[in-house]
Amino acid sequence: MHFPLSALSVLLALPAAVRAVFQDEVGHIDYHYELLGVPQRETTFFHRPRRQDKASLLYTLSDLGVLGAVNPSTSSVVWRQLLQGNITNGAGYLRAGEDATWVASAMGSSTQAWDAPTGRNLWSLDFDGRAKDLEIMELTESDHKDVLVLYEEEGATVARRIHGLQGHVVWEFRAVNGDIPLQVSTNVEKVFVISLHGSLLSYSLKVTVLDTLTGKRLDEINIGTKGEVQKPEDVMFVGANSAAPIVAWTDNALTKLKVNVLGNKNKQEFPLLADTRSVEIHAPHHIQSQPHFLVQSRTKTANKADVFHVDLKTNAVTKAYDLPLLDGESAFSTSTAGTNVYFTRVTPDEVIVTSSLSHGILGRWPLKGNDAKAGALHGVSEVIKKSENNYAVRSAIVTDTDDWVMIRNGEVAWTRPEGLTGAVAATWAEIPESEDLAKTLEAEAHSNPLEAYIHRVKRHVDDLQYLPDWLESIPGRLLSSIMGSEGSAKDSATLTRDSFGLNKLVVLVTKRGKLYGLDAGNNGRIVWSKSASETPSTLPWDVKSIHADDIKGLITVRGADGEFIIVKSDTGKTVETMGPGLWPPVQSVAVVDSAAGPWLLPIGIDGKIGEIPLAHAPKQTVVVRAGNELKGITFQPQGEQAVEVPAWVFSPSGKQKIVHIATRSPHDPIASVGRVLGDRSVLYKYLNPNTLVVAGIDEASSTMTLYLLDSVSGEVLTSSTHKGVDPNKDISCAITENWFACSFFGQYAVRDSETQSVKGYQLAITDLYESEVSNDRGPLGEALGEDAKFSPLDPIEQPTGPVIPSAVSKTFMLSGPITSLAVTQTRQGITSRQLLAFASGSHSITSIPRMVIDPRRVVGRDPTPAELEEGLSKYTPLVELDPRFMITHERDVIGIKEIITAPANLESTSLVFAYGVDVFGTRMTPSLPFDILGKGFNKVTLIGTVLALTAGVMALGPMVRKKQINMRWYSA
Amino acid sequence: MRVSISAAAALLSLLQPLASALATTAVTLAVPAQPALPNPNVLPPSTHATLATLYTTYSAPLSAANTFVFRNVTPGSYLADVHCATHAFAPLRVDVVASSAPEKLGLLSVQAWETFRGNDWDNKGEEAKEIALGGTPGSSLATAKAALPVRCLAPKQYFIERSSFSVTSILKNPMILLAMVSMGIFFLMPKMVENMDPEMRAEFEEQQKNNPMASLMGGGGQQAANPMGNFDMAAFLAGSSNKKDEGGPAAGAASDAGNGAGKRRK
Repeated sequence: MHFPLSALSVLLALPAAVRAVFQDEVGHIDYHYELLGVPQRETTFFHRPRRQDKASLLYTLSDLGVLGAVNPSTSSVVWRQLLQGNITNGAGYLRAGEDATWVASAMGSSTQAWDAPTGRNLWSLDFDGRAKDLEIMELTESDHKDVLVLYEEEGATVARRIHGLQGHVVWEFRAVNGDIPLQVSTNVEKVFVISLHGSLLSYSLKVTVLDTLTGKRLDEINIGTKGEVQKPEDVMFVGANSAAPIVAWTDNALTKLKVNVLGNKNKQEFPLLADTRSVEIHAPHHIQSQPHFLVQSRTKTANKADVFHVDLKTNAVTKAYDLPLLDGESAFSTSTAGTNVYFTRVTPDEVIVTSSLSHGILGRWPLKGNDAKAGALHGVSEVIKKSENNYAVRSAIVTDTDDWVMIRNGEVAWTRPEGLTGAVAATWAEIPESEDLAKTLEAEAHSNPLEAYIHRVKRHVDDLQYLPDWLESIPGRLLSSIMGSEGSAKDSATLTRDSFGLNKLVVLVTKRGKLYGLDAGNNGRIVWSKSASETPSTLPWDVKSIHADDIKGLITVRGADGEFIIVKSDTGKTVETMGPGLWPPVQSVAVVDSAAGPWLLPIGIDGKIGEIPLAHAPKQTVVVRAGNELKGITFQPQGEQAVEVPAWVFSPSGKQKIVHIATRSPHDPIASVGRVLGDRSVLYKYLNPNTLVVAGIDEASSTMTLYLLDSVSGEVLTSSTHKGVDPNKDISCAITENWFACSFFGQYAVRDSETQSVKGYQLAITDLYESEVSNDRGPLGEALGEDAKFSPLDPIEQPTGPVIPSAVSKTFMLSGPITSLAVTQTRQGITSRQLLAFASGSHSITSIPRMVIDPRRVVGRDPTPAELEEGLSKYTPLVELDPRFMITHERDVIGIKEIITAPANLESTSLVFAYGVDVFGTRMTPSLPFDILGKGFNKVTLIGTVLALTAGVMALGPMVRKKQINMRWYSA
Repeated sequence: MRVSISAAAALLSLLQPLASALATTAVTLAVPAQPALPNPNVLPPSTHATLATLYTTYSAPLSAANTFVFRNVTPGSYLADVHCATHAFAPLRVDVVASSAPEKLGLLSVQAWETFRGNDWDNKGEEAKEIALGGTPGSSLATAKAALPVRCLAPKQYFIERSSFSVTSILKNPMILLAMVSMGIFFLMPKMVENMDPEMRAEFEEQQKNNPMASLMGGGGQQAANPMGNFDMAAFLAGSSNKKDEGGPAAGAASDAGNGAGKRRK
């Protein structure tokens, strides 16, 4: 009975004003890019998920570790799984057997099989070590396909064959020899494990031949490479699953290609194009396909390809033909139909399909479409033979702009902006206002009256040309405003501010070094995108700070190696850029005020700042993090320079490690300094803008302490210790106004009664007040109150240290984990705030009303009428993450790293943007949309009602008049 | 299904030096068909379950057989949650403990109960008894013969209905109801009075005269048309009290607003 009761009381405690999303707002106020990440070369393919069905899906395991299936005709995601539960950096393996209804993936320590049409898991296995390769055994002794996985353990190479349907290990081969496992491959008869043998810089290739049935070692072949293979990446290709798998590598100067057909010792050499910069090999992955492969060599400006055939009997590799040298980038892809192998080449201008047998072109389509000129990096294709000489081809190409483009017979069918994934930083920016009018007005103000008058008349006459257009647009605007479709009516191609302040830009930086400008007011449309490759730092890009200067309309992005790029927020045009390594490395960046105006102060490693010119010396205390310490730094003039003077040092007590620091948003307006209680007395909020929350955790004893620090004095204002906090799960905090909240996983005995213990995801929230009692301002009151002893001439005699706030805390149990806490922001802070968080379990973003998690909720008794009036309800430990709290409603939003909010001009509205893997944005009205007519305001009904009433009055008027007249006459 | 020990398990074993700390077991949760969820195959593929306790979390995706298989689970008391976009599930407490039976020494046994969030961890609900999985031999779940059932609470409702314009909602408004009643009286009363036989009518009129409320109600039409029409201002100012004696002009006028039978004084 406990559960329904507590759930009921929580539901009752909810204010009537809990604001869920209306169905008709979906897609209107919110937008969502359902993304996978940039597909990787080896883990993307077309595959038919159902044997009897001809339709195929596009499967990929992206560079972020998202496995997904995309419908190739509509570009919609059919299903997706974040394999490791977290964003990973590349790697991972994905294969599908021909006609199999499942796909197999290997990543990290786990190997999994997934139902291809639905995305349900078939089996999952976890092993020691790390997966190095995965292949499908197409032909087995039974009627199903099996999976071969290669793992690298410490000093050991482990190959396993796993039952494809049941997911149990058929056999295991283990070799403890210190070799580096490279790949696993199979032809019909044997399994080959290829590893690197030897020492660094002079490896030889070792091919271990295994029996398919038992996994016993049959043979071992060493292939000398004469120091040409220096690291695992030097082995370019190990053909898998074809009738004659090969292994290929090049010499160090990229002049010769060496090919070995697995299972024998011979290696053959083929010359490469002069100035070749990179070589790529494409081969079919199916066992019945002809053993042909294509070698693409790229020079700086052009690329060509050679096609080779393998003779199955003699294992000889012969060159069949070559494809011409073409300028620019080309992406080659292989597709098979029965035994036929087709090579598709996507160049900047056209799509060309050739058969592997001859160089005759089967089909050629000129490329048309929006961004067809984007450089194709790699892709996959599906060639369909319609008739004898008629082919159709569709290719999914990854471009150098990180887009995933589907080209169907030369036409761009769709583009998925996969580059938006893996975002590491984002900021809101105002749309820069057009300065033309302001400039003209200024010019008029400063010239002599007559000239100004003539100028003004001219300007108005000029403006007349827009009058017909404007008049023409009136009926349309009127109609759309009545029908309530004002959002779609506006021209979506231009960036303009609106009076509600809903049109804002979001600038997003991804770890691949790309920058994006999104129009938040226009369903998150991508306004511009660009590569910050002028500052090619290490990948993934370690972005330390992003800052928007709304006055100048500039965005500054700073990386860890001192590199930075400044772009215009509305066009993405580079204003200034600096490569990595030229400036000292940066730990973080702070916006500081100085005599010369506000500027971005870079903070070096370990919080070192160094000397600063006097004019630029920060006026505030700068808080820096040095290892496990926080330092407050002020600046003192010393000659021409200002030198840093440590003001305070804070280190968490004991063995605690700082796991999270939450600071206030720069925009944190406070509308009311107090909280009015039921008896009309006021509890004054402790409002100190210089506070930050530090969460420190001792991993051994699993105790977490939350510190509220005064950033000017370094004083700990309040601290609370939580026992049994899991350091391995997310801990996230947020601070605003006079309260802060932290989420964590806790398991501990309840303090009140030691016999009781709790376990679960929790949220600790603390309110800060100036005093425990109402109508009291604490120590400040003595200075400010009516009986003020304080005067500027007679300061407080004995300062008793900092004003310590009175803290009221409660901990709530949540029904699921939440991370990335954030708080809504509104223009003046009148609207109540809501706590936003990513509910990582249910893949959604939740907004918890402040009222539900109010620390002043009464414990152990029902609230008195006065407390009810204040909005307090009885404390229940459980806060159910109600689906109606989810601002993402039914959308499946994965991998959110951070949520940022911004105020709109409307006081009721806060803009929300979340990024990580997916990109999601919406508008929120925590206190209901009190200053704007929503969609619920039906103008048609209103006008209809008024018209109906008018008609009624018109109809009844004569009747009543007639009756009155009759009455008078008849009565007389 | 004992495969090996993960790093997290190793860590746990260091912290909780149990006799059988190195042993691991598999825990299988299943979503059976139940009233709140008649067809578990409709669950989206993003559905997953987690086993959480201090320092350790296991996660398992939903399988094609509507199960969640956790492998290499070390001993401990876990909070099992099913995270699903479309349905809400009741949490479970899953205890993995070393078997006490001597013949199963070293093996782990798994027990599960319903648990109540925000309550004492030892406050266990009904035990979740293992159910046999009706998988055909050779199905993908040959490794798990039995599983712990999870209870689906309800489908999730993400949206709220917008209160829309409707005629019935307007008609339910008390103001409208009042207006309707007075309209009814206004239109129907004269007709009723007309249809009365003369005796009754006279009696009724008499009653009306004595009832000031009725005068207010019945006289709506005429008075509204000219409310000040027969108000004798001079008499009122003079404080004249002869109205009562005469039956009152207002009452008289109001009594038979409809039939206009010459009661008005000019």
